[in-house]
Amino acid sequence: MLVDTGFVDIQISQPHDTFGEARGEKKARLFDVYGYTFLARKLG
Amino acid sequence: MSKELAFNPVVLREEVKSKYRDVAINPSGEYHFHTGRPLARRLGYDSALVDSMPDAAVESFAGVANPFSLRSLERGEKVLDTGSGGGFDCFVAAHQVGPQGKVIGVDLLPEMLEKARKTAESMGLKNVEFREGLLEEIPVEDGWADVVISNGVINLCADKKRVFSELWRVLRPGGRLQFGDIANGKPVPESAIRNIDLWTA
Repeated sequence: MLVDTGFVDIQISQPHDTFGEARGEKKARLFDVYGYTFLARKLG
Repeated sequence: MSKELAFNPVVLREEVKSKYRDVAINPSGEYHFHTGRPLARRLGYDSALVDSMPDAAVESFAGVANPFSLRSLERGEKVLDTGSGGGFDCFVAAHQVGPQGKVIGVDLLPEMLEKARKTAESMGLKNVEFREGLLEEIPVEDGWADVVISNGVINLCADKKRVFSELWRVLRPGGRLQFGDIANGKPVPESAIRNIDLWTA
């Protein structure tokens, strides 16, 4: 969706184990859910 | 686009408001996600900076990643935080941009906005402002922001195409979007997408 919107120079971080040891860990593992940082630039 | 959604976006928004209202009022409650200082440590925030903040600035933090991990902000930048919650990322941003910069936080919850405003005042931050609004209709003028940040909020919005269109609108040409959010490595079945509880719990 970033690309579709027109953003360029997109970077994505390594995954954060955001839900590890939290109550939501089981559901997060079910769908392989992790947190990521995204960086993008508006062309201009 | 809304008519294509597999669930009611109004119901989703109310569920999100209910869940995060609890985080504002009762930050030490038990949630399915981490919150506060332990979460900030887990996500790699600057520990010295976080330690210097009052509890009120950190305790309702419920992000999913660190928007500053790939790029720190520059002094003097104008920053918009979409879904600012209790204001934690705004306070980090204010530290990075310095007094010549400006930070606006936008959130849909009056309880979070009230908390964030009080905390900013107690921290003596003159360059941080909080506004009530939705990511689908951001109350900021076209091209205002040098940088837009967000943390764990876009995934909770039903109409992501509209949200990204708004993020584009408020950024100046050449501006940066740096946000934390979750992504799933395994496909989520339609039945799970229709289950509103799985969005927020």
